[in-house]
Order: sequence, then C-alpha cells, then structure tokens
Amino acid sequence: MVAAIEVHDHDLTAAFRTLSTAVLTLETIDAVFVPMRLPCGSAVMPTLVTDPAHLERIDPLAPSFALNAAKVVGQLTRNRKAGIGKIAVLLRPCEIRAFVELVKLNQGQTENILIIGSDCLGAFTNHDYFAFAQAKGEDASRIFYQSMLSGQEAVLEGINLSGACRACESFLPTGADLAVRLWGVATERHILLEAQTDKGAALLEKLQLPTGQVPSEREGVVHALVDQRTDYRDAMFAATAAAIGTLEKLAAYLSHCVNCYNCRVACPVCYCRECVFTTDLFDHDPLQYLSWAQRRGAVKLPTDTLFYHLTRMAHMSTACVGCGQCSNACPNGIDLMPLFRLVAHRTQGVFDYKAGEDLAAKPPLTQFKEDEFQEVVGIGE
Amino acid sequence: MENSNTALVVGAGISGIRAALDLAESGHRVVLVERAPHLGGILSQLDRQFPTNRCGMCRMLPAFERDAASQACLRRGLFHERIDIRLSTQITALSGAPGHMQVSLRTAPNGVDARRCVGCGECAEVCPVVVPDPFNAGLTTRKAIYQPVPHDRSTGYVIDVQACTQCGVCASVCPTQAIQLAQDGRRKFHILVVDDELVVRDSLKEWLLAEGYSVRMAASGAEALEMLSGQPVHLMLADIKMPGMDGVELLQRSRQILPELCVLMMTAYATVETAVEAMKMGALDYLMKPFDTAAMMDKVAAVFQEQMAEQDESIAVGAVILACGSDYFDPRRGKNPYGYGTCPHVLTQLEFERLLSGSGPFGGALLRPADRRPVGKIAFLQCVGSRDLQSDADFCSSVCCMIAIKQARLARERGGAQLAATLFHMDLRTAGLPYQRWGEAACEQDQLRLVRGRVHSLLADPASGDPVLTWLGPDGQITGETFDLVVLAVGQRPAQGLAPLAEMTGLSLNPWGFVRTQAHSLVRTDQAGILVAGACAGLKDINESVIQASAAAAEAGRILHATGGTLSVAADAARTPPRDLSADPPRIAVALCTCDGALNAEGAAAALEARLNQDPCVSRIVFLNRLCTDDGWRTLVDGLNDPQANRILLGACRSDAFTPRLRALVAENGLPSQMVEAVDLRIYDREPSAASRQARVATDLAMAVARLKHAEPVRPPGVSVVQHALVVGGGIAGMQAALSIAERGYLVTLVEKQASLGGNLHWLRQTLDGADLTALLADTIDRVAHQPLIHVHLQTEVQSAFGQVGHFYTTLAPAKAAPHILEHGVTVLATGCGEASTAAYGYGTHAAVVTQKELEVRLADQRIDPQQLGAVVMILCVASREAPRSYCSRVCCPTALKQALTLKRANPATAVYILYRDMMTCGFSETFFTQARREGIVFMPYATDAKPRVTADATQGPCIRTMDSILGADVEIRVDLLVLATGLVPELPPELATAYGAQLDEDHFFRPADFKWRPVEALTAGVFACGCALSPRGVAESIATAQAAAQKAVGILRRPTIAPDAVTATVRRSLCSLCERCIDACPFGARALSPEQDQVLINPAMCQGCGACAAACPNGAAVVSNYSAGQMLAMIAEVVKCDV
Repeated sequence: MVAAIEVHDHDLTAAFRTLSTAVLTLETIDAVFVPMRLPCGSAVMPTLVTDPAHLERIDPLAPSFALNAAKVVGQLTRNRKAGIGKIAVLLRPCEIRAFVELVKLNQGQTENILIIGSDCLGAFTNHDYFAFAQAKGEDASRIFYQSMLSGQEAVLEGINLSGACRACESFLPTGADLAVRLWGVATERHILLEAQTDKGAALLEKLQLPTGQVPSEREGVVHALVDQRTDYRDAMFAATAAAIGTLEKLAAYLSHCVNCYNCRVACPVCYCRECVFTTDLFDHDPLQYLSWAQRRGAVKLPTDTLFYHLTRMAHMSTACVGCGQCSNACPNGIDLMPLFRLVAHRTQGVFDYKAGEDLAAKPPLTQFKEDEFQEVVGIGE
Repeated sequence: MENSNTALVVGAGISGIRAALDLAESGHRVVLVERAPHLGGILSQLDRQFPTNRCGMCRMLPAFERDAASQACLRRGLFHERIDIRLSTQITALSGAPGHMQVSLRTAPNGVDARRCVGCGECAEVCPVVVPDPFNAGLTTRKAIYQPVPHDRSTGYVIDVQACTQCGVCASVCPTQAIQLAQDGRRKFHILVVDDELVVRDSLKEWLLAEGYSVRMAASGAEALEMLSGQPVHLMLADIKMPGMDGVELLQRSRQILPELCVLMMTAYATVETAVEAMKMGALDYLMKPFDTAAMMDKVAAVFQEQMAEQDESIAVGAVILACGSDYFDPRRGKNPYGYGTCPHVLTQLEFERLLSGSGPFGGALLRPADRRPVGKIAFLQCVGSRDLQSDADFCSSVCCMIAIKQARLARERGGAQLAATLFHMDLRTAGLPYQRWGEAACEQDQLRLVRGRVHSLLADPASGDPVLTWLGPDGQITGETFDLVVLAVGQRPAQGLAPLAEMTGLSLNPWGFVRTQAHSLVRTDQAGILVAGACAGLKDINESVIQASAAAAEAGRILHATGGTLSVAADAARTPPRDLSADPPRIAVALCTCDGALNAEGAAAALEARLNQDPCVSRIVFLNRLCTDDGWRTLVDGLNDPQANRILLGACRSDAFTPRLRALVAENGLPSQMVEAVDLRIYDREPSAASRQARVATDLAMAVARLKHAEPVRPPGVSVVQHALVVGGGIAGMQAALSIAERGYLVTLVEKQASLGGNLHWLRQTLDGADLTALLADTIDRVAHQPLIHVHLQTEVQSAFGQVGHFYTTLAPAKAAPHILEHGVTVLATGCGEASTAAYGYGTHAAVVTQKELEVRLADQRIDPQQLGAVVMILCVASREAPRSYCSRVCCPTALKQALTLKRANPATAVYILYRDMMTCGFSETFFTQARREGIVFMPYATDAKPRVTADATQGPCIRTMDSILGADVEIRVDLLVLATGLVPELPPELATAYGAQLDEDHFFRPADFKWRPVEALTAGVFACGCALSPRGVAESIATAQAAAQKAVGILRRPTIAPDAVTATVRRSLCSLCERCIDACPFGARALSPEQDQVLINPAMCQGCGACAAACPNGAAVVSNYSAGQMLAMIAEVVKCDV
C-alpha cells in the first residue's frame, strides 16, 4: 500500500510536517517524536511533541545527526509496567536498527510505538553541521536535500557527508512500520509513504491520503547508491584493517584516547546502566599502579585504555549498526567508526547476523550452539 | 542395633562410581573398591560415546552439595568426602545379614607410595622393562613402572609387579623416594624346590635367584619335610613324580605340619590329572614341564604378592553393590575365522577405539598399526562371540552395534570423505531412544554402508596382505571384497573374578555366567543385602548402567535405612559455621612445602618470599617439608597458627591430593572453603632452566595470592526444602518411585488420573521370560496400600503447578472434590506411555488385524483361540523407526516373540511368520529369538522401501504379500490373524512438564539432562521422570528407572535446607540493566525475573556455577562467586606483561 503527500514549492520539510501533523491529530496517537530545530539556534534534536503547533520547527532532513535517538526511544518505552500512550517516532534507518537491538536487549518495547522511517539522505559530522548551518542559516536543510536528491552528492562549502554516512549502504528504513520514500521519487511533486507492517498499514489507512506509486526508476537509483557506498565502505575497511593489524598498531590507532568514555555514551547499543569500566572493578588499588610500574618499569595512566576499546568491541560488535556516533563523540578526533564497523562487519558476518535488521533474529551471543566454531574452541580435536 | 550406615561398592567403573556417588549424595558413607589401580573401568579407555560423539562423564558429579565432591574431569580422578576409594583392592570374604555385614578387603601393594609420588615420570624414563600397554589395548608399550591411565593424575605411578625385574633403577632416581621395591621382601621370601632331578633343581634355583627370591632345595619328599619343620618356607614347588614319597603324598604330609603352606605342583603332561587331584587336596596350582619360565615366574610372583600383601582389613557395611563389569570374548578362541592375531590388519573394537584416541598410538591419526599406512576402507564385523551358539553365546552383547556406528563416524571424522566404512551385521540394534536417528545420520551424513549378512571368513590377500572378506548376502549371493582394516565387535563375557566372587558370596549366576537377578528387578540378587549394577548382570550401555547403578543405590539405601542407618546429615550440621569475614581486610598465610629443599634450589626461596611479600595482604610465609607425610602435615597445622590470618595459601606438589586434608583444615580454622587455596608447584616438571622454573612457581603463587585477596566471603542464603515428594502417574513406575522414596522415610503423594493404580499392568500378564506381571501388580498395590508415608489420590489430575526445587506448588484436581494445593520439594513424572494407533496394513478394516496389545488382551480373555489359528503374521516396526517416529520402542520385538511362542506352544500346527526389520532382542532375550526359530517360527526381514502389503478381504482374512530375499520374489501369506507392532508413544502432557521447568524431546518424551549420564532428571533441578515417560522400556527396566528417580529425589529431600555451594552466581542489582541475557544463558533455569519485574533472581540450589551468565553479562552485574571478574583480572595482571 503506497500513499503520496504532495510537495509544494520543493519544500520537503513541509511535507513531513503535513505527515506528522496528520499522525498527531489521529485519536490513537498521543505524541510524535521527531527531529526539531531548537528555538534557540540551528541545533536539531529529537523532540517529543503533543501540540501540533510545535511541529512548525520540524526538520527531519537537516544534515544533522547530533545523537542516535534509539537510546531515547528506549527510555520512552522500556518500562514494562507503565502504560504510556502511543507514540509515533520518526527515525533514521540506523536509529531504527539500533532501537531493534535495544528491544532485543529488553531496553525498549515496540508495543506502544509506531516507527516511521525515512529514506536517509545522510548527515554531516556534528562539527561540520554547525559550520554549515552557520553559513546557510534557515536554508541549510533545503540546500542539503535538494543537492542530495538531485544526485550530486556534492561537497557543499567544502563539507561532505560524515564517514559513516558515506560508507552506509543501509540507508532505507528497514524495520519501520511506515516508510517514507525519497530516493528515486519525483520529490518535486510528492513524497511517498509505504506501509511495511500491519501496524503501518493500519495507520496509513487512517490517514486517508491519496494513493501513489513507486516509480520504476527508484530501484536503479537505490542500487547505484548502494554500490557507491559499498565501494567506499570496502576501501575504508581495507585501509582500516591495514592500520590496526597488530596490537601495537591498534594501540597507536587509539593512542589519543583519554578514557573519557564519550564513545560509549554516544553509542546507541551500549546499553549498560553503568559501564563496567566505571565500576569498582577498574577502581584499582593504589598499590596496584605502583606494582605494575615496578614490574614493567613504566605504566601509562589512565590504564586499561586498549582493554576498554577491546571490551566494547567484544560486547557491542554483534549489535553495532554503523551509525558513526562514536567518531562524532570523540573529543580527540579518533575515528572509531571505521574500526568498529570493520570489526562488526566481520563478527556479524561470522554469525550470519545483521544488527537491527530483523527483530525476530536472536542476538548471536544469546544462543548456544554446541557445534559451532570447532576450529576455534578445539572440541573437534 | 545401629548399622554402620556404610555401603560397599565393588568395582569403580561407571556403574560403581554412579552408585557410590548416589549413596554419598543421599547422605550415606561408601567404600568404593576397585581391583585395578585406577578408576573408570572400561570407560577410561573410551574417549567418546554414542550418540553424542563426545564425553560427558563429569555430568555424573553431584548437582547439589557440589562442594562435597571434586568438580573436575572424572577421568582425572574423583573425590567425595563420603566416599573412601580403595584402588588395587579386592574383597576376600563377606558374611552377615543385610544391614550388618562384615567384608574383608585386601589391597595389593604396588611399590609406590601414592601420597609421595609427584607424577614426574623420572622412574618410567629409566625403567628398562618394556611391555605392551593394556591401556592402549597392546598397541603401544609402557614400562614396568607406569601411570595406569595417562591423564589420571590422582593415582600417580604404580609398578607392574609381574613385569618388574626389581633392578631398582627407578627407586634411585625418584626425587621424593616414593618407590619401595619389593626386593627386600623377595629376599625374605623362601621357596623350597623339591625335585629328584638335579638339573631341574639347578635351573629353577637359577631362575628364582635371578628374580630375587631365597631358594632352598630338596631332592626328595623326606628331605623336604625335614626342611619344612626347621626353617620358614613360604612356597613349595613340588614335583609330582618322585621315587619314594611322591609329590601328592608330600603335599598331604606337609600340610599336616603347615596347613597354610602354599604349594605349586610341577608336572609333566602325563601326570596333569594327578596335578588336578593335588589341587583338590589343597595345592594352589600346577606348573607344566617343560617350564614356560615367564608364566612360571608370574605364578610365583602372584603367590609372593598374595603372601606379602598387608593383612586383610575387615570393615562393617550395611549393603554391598557389585559393579565389577565384564570382560571381552577372545576372538583367537575356537576356529578364529576372522584371523585375529594372524592377520595384522584385524583389530578388536577396543583396539580400534585406542587407535582413534588422541592418547592412542598415533595421536588419533587413522593409520594401520601394522604398517602405518593410512586407512581408506574399514569393515566392521558384528557379533564375534555374541549371538553365536558355537562360542556359547546365546545372547546379544547389546552395545556393539552402537559402538560400531560410533567408530564408523569417528573414523570418518578422522579419515575424511575418502574413508569408506562398511558394517556387516545380522540386525542393527539401535534400541535406545536417540540411537535410531544416530544410526540413520551415520548412513546419511557419513556414508556408512550397511550390509546384512554374516561374514564367514577372512583371508589375507597373498600379495598385499590386506584382509579379504567373503560373505553370503540375504539374496544368497557370495561376495568378496578387500579392506584395509577389519574391526571385530567382540562380545562380552563375565568378568574374570566374577565366578569366585559368586562362590564366596553365594550368588547365583545365569547360564552364561553373569549374575542372576530376581524377577522384575535388575538389581536384586538372590542374596539379600547384595545388589548388582552394570555389566556384571548383563551387558548394557552407559544409559542403562547409570540407571541401574542409581537403582542399586536406591535399594542399598533402603536396606541401610531399614536396618537403622543414620544419615550423616547430623554430622554436616555439627560443623562449626564459617567465621564472618565480611569486615576483615584480607590477611593471607602462605605455607610452602620445600620437598626436601628442592624448592630452595639456588636460594630460590628467598626470592620467592620477597616476591610474595610485595603484597601487604600476605601476613606470613612459612616453609615446611614433606607435607605429603603425616608428620609434614602436622607441622603445617602448627605452623599456620595465626589467628589473624583469614585466608590460607598452600603450595606443594600434587596439591590435588590434599583435598580431603585441606577440607579438614578449612573446617578447623572456621574459614569459608573459598578462602583456602592450594597450588601445585610442579617443581619436578621439565623446564628450560632453573630460573624459568623459579619464575613460573613465583607467578603461580602470585596468581593464587591475587585470587585469594579478592575472594568474597559472602554466600547467598540456602534454599529450604519441603520434604515431601509428588509422583504423577500410578503405573508400575510411579508406584515403585513412591515406594522407593517412602521406604527411605519421606512423605509421598501419588496421583493417578484413573480409578485404580496399575497403568499398563492391567492388561499385561507376563513377560517374555515368563515372570508373572499380574502377581507383581497385586503385590505392588498391596505394598503401596500398606505404606503409611504414601498418600494415594485416584481419579486426580494435576491442574497447574509452579515453583522450583525445594518448594513446588501443585494444584491437584480430584474428579469428585474441590481442587487443592500440594506443597512439595521434588516432582517425579511417571505418566507412562500407550500403544501407538495406526491405520496401516488394513488395521480397522478387518477384524483379524489387531495390535499387539489387542492380541494380549484377547488371548487373556480367550476371545482368540490359538486352536483356531492356521496362520499368523506379525509385522514389526509399524510406523516405527522411521520419520516421524524415528525411535525403537524396544518392547515390540520381545512381545512378538512372547506372543509367537505362546501361539506356537498352544497350537504347534499354527504357522507363525514374523516380518521384521531388525530383531531387537538385546541381552539375554536373544535366547528366546533362538528358541522361536527352533520352534519353527518363520522370520522374514523386510526393508522400508519394500514394506509388506496387506489386502484385507472380509470373507477370507487378510492376505500379506512380502518380498522374500532368498527367493528373490514376493510371497503371499493368507492368515487368520495379522498382528501389528505399532510401538509406544508417550503420554506426558507438555504443559505438565513445563510447569515444573522440564522439557519434552522431539518425540514428546521427557527430555533428560543428558540421555546417558543424567538419564532420569531434567536439567532443571528437582524434576525427575521414570518409566515410559522417559523412553520406551519393559517392566523391569521401568522399575529400575523408578528406583533411580527415587534415589535422585532422596538426594534432595534428605535435608531441610540446601546450602549454596562456594561457586554460585549472584546479581549486583545496582549494575543490572535487566537485559535478561543471563536468564537466556542459564542452562539450568536457575535465573528468573522477579514477580515485580524489577530484578533478576537466582535460585542458588539450581545454580551450578557454570558462569554462562557472567560471560553473557557485559558489565559484571552477573557475578560468579570465587570466580569474580576482580579475581580474574588480578590473576591475569600477575602474568600479563604488556600494558592494555
């Protein structure tokens, strides 16, 4: 089932506003959760809206990805007992994937929410977006989406998409109840809505929109973009693999880390209430530092830096959705995304698992298979 | 009079270990004796088992009160605080009544002080004597001083006294002076040689002196008698044929002087009969001239061992379980048609098992032992010395078919896709629940070729020497084929010592020499107080051995209880509770054994002391010597006299051997067990340099200090137990389970949905071997009725249930009353099975087509008159042993034989045809198969792709067409009766099992924790099953499972509280994100979300401390006590050198 929302004057943001308003006006929906420009500046943040009047500032196509909203959606839904109202959430594909992983980890529930996902046009790094928004003011979002959708993924003001977005081949909103189609669609006339689940279909029916049709050329456009992104991704993997191939190289790659743990705060699937690295386990005995120093002659402080990143890889690489917020969050410019995506790509490949793709697929580490990886565990011999 | 509360278990194979552990778990004390110098019996040589292709022996270890036993690989040894293990020991006398028996034990000295041996192997290195290694079935060699099982560190080295030449080199290199050769003893052992021929006397003297004995000689009987009255003589070798006084007379007269004198007669072939006569008069044995020196010296050495053995020890026990296993048929015996021993490429199954083993001759590589060539084609020949009247084996050895399948699969795993295995069999006996599927998988996945037929001969190819097999197929064709290797499934025989043991104890044996058990029991013998387990009462696989061993333990426990035995629970409770250390900073006292200064080589002790003292938690370090001796241990107890110390670290050789003493030390110091750690210093291990050894020892100790320092003294609270059992199902299994629990003194509620107890025994009249089931039912119902501890609820069903081990809540719904809730501590599901329904072969369309059950019932009520039957066909495996019901129901083949024999005997004119796929007459029921054929019952095999076809005609009776393989054509049989064996299907409602946390398998039977090793219990603690709820089985086998389940239940019911063990999981709530991964990860169902859904709860009795939760939890909210992340990181920090 496909429906269309008309676009006037090339204003796609307005079309999203129309959609959100219509959804919020439905009796069955108590709130919408959408990216909105803050009243006080250019920052775009996820916002829970109950009054349609506030949707004036909706800005889902801004090249801003300040944080991965999956964690916040988890917070909105995770309490099993509370009967919170129904919320429609508008998310990027990588946010949906992260949310799906959180649901599997019991850090969120899907019962009371309806996920609207949009074809993702990508975003700049936080740093770049500030500069871009500064330069372009109110027009920033329009300039960005027109440029992207016209097929010239051109560098604007010397700014390109973030590395994570350039390497992203999963830019379609798999897992959303309702999908907004932009790529390969005549967006000067309309945007298209397609229900992907029964829940989505029920919503679309209530919205009573004119029907639309997905144009045949969309497939080619999407395909070309996937190829382009995959090429970029594979080149990135190759370069990263070369840069981290040994423990020494990996230590060098991460050498500017100051153990601020921002990357784990920014990571949407790092779900521990308290990270083990901030617990008493790593609150070493004062004597311990001296004993390490004595044994090796010197010890770098703070300790456990490489251990921290390796642990995060061990814990999260099966759930990593490649959103790139780790790189975004690093105060010292360590590009963590290529490292984590590479490791995630390999671990998920080994388990034939794709994080966030399918709510029904069990996370690999929750399943015990007696006969797997015999070459590693050595049971065969 | 109170009895000793101790049971004796004879034989420490799987059955013996199982029985001993069961009794210990239910609070009794056990003396476990084993003739061999090691534990494990035959299983010590079998690495992997069907149908899993791996080992699971450790799953026999206790799940409750785990701290009482060792928690490590059982192949490396066993410890339980209530089991006294005596290796190299036999029983020499047994007397008394149940509850009050006296047993004499004799332990053969093996030359090595087990407590002092550190297992370094220096002795074996220098030993000059090389003999075939029985552990590898003779495929490799070992020295005269050796480790009986290479991976078992608990036994250390022993001396093979038969092979040892007493050269003494080993004793000179032993770093701990653990070896005491019998040489001095031999010099004190006086042998008198009496022979009229000087040359015989001289050569005997020379041989005996070379062996280290003292020798005297006499040329006549008179001279001998004179010498006997003068000096001590331990053994006399007397020639039979001597002038004057002959050997026999000498024997008689010498025994008048010295009644205990050991005499060996020497005889030429002509006087063998006289020698036998002499043995009747008291001679020990005879030696045949010309002498086989080696054999003769073995006999002399045996007498020497016997005489020099320490005095027999007499112990009081309440009950005895014989679990002494079985031996193998020797394929060299008789005609030896398969050339075993002549063609080098013919092996027995045991030899092949060792060939495939990583500890075998080629490290597991599949090479032919004779020429080390890779193996491409293997033939497995079944029934060598089984199912064979020519070798007196009118029985099936029960396990060889499955072993052959396992070995074929293992061979394929080793040899890869080019390996081709062929299995020659008469019937492929895959009679255990999961075995059929495993056999099918062997054919499908591993291309195992099955050939039905008995190979009549094996010849070696003249050119290559490869074995060539010739066989007659079912089609009558003779086929020949060359193989690289031939594996013989040699049948089993009674254990060598069983006959004398039976004679000593008065036990009856069956016609094949195995222990005879009482009707309907697999464990009761005709001697009250003596029970039997394992293969000595007939051959069985691990599953059945384990069940039977637990059943024997249940019976032994019943005897101990009935004769006044008190459980050692009282002793447990009397122990001082551990000190509360939660507020104390860690203070570690370290005691190190220097092993006569070996630890302090090049002043290493000072450096070690300095390293350990770096940690301020180490409060004192004491160096002691010879902790392995009683004196040394006393110095430890005194040396550790530090009231401030709240943790103890012990460093010594083979620290694992200290476990029992260590536990005593813990108790004395009032410390929780996790506060005491022992480190094996391994100072005799080979290492590149003294410096590297010192560094390694220091690191090992530093790691232990780190672990102790971070040990948490807290333990979760215990789980209280409602000492009351619920048994669901009042068939024979349910009744027996209820009786076996009640007879141990615990309340039982027995629930049956029907209006009377009895289940399938209502329609079964007798078993194949003629045992009366009607009487059994009446007797059992009577015993239940008179057992005051059993409350029977008829016409009652379980409506719902919840709870966990120790405290279940079950809502019982009687048909004619209001539901009520029963609180109980354990649950036994005995819901039984029924005959499967069918629509095959014209069933339901013709009155003459009946099931086995219908025939049984109609014969009993005389609705079917055998006199009226001209021809009867029985079709076996109706919709059984093929998808979706791919299992053997076990009872149908014996039932068919029983019914066929009944019909044939009632009316010999009746033609009875049995159409079968594989006759599953395992064990001694094989003899009825033989009888049936003798009595003219016709057996015709059919294949699943050419099943019999039935046309049922209302006027004429059914007509069966089936392929006759010998004729190569269809035959047509018109019958008056067609009997279908439809097999058994379980009647266990899934919701009933899941309410108690148990699960069903793919065939809807109860899923045991492990089919072989934990066969009657669910993985979730406190839930058991017995009878046909587990898998199809006969009446005696059902009773055994019921006894086994009851035994397990008693292991829980016996105490009001289950104390948590030292290694148990806990949750740090402040860190927990409630992701529930730990709940998914826990294989024992020990974790659950609280009813408020705000925390994860753990049942400490169900937790087995496996650590799966801690591995699944990303941030350390799941903690396994004594294996906390803090302990592990601190230990790692002691070894890892680089920064991370």
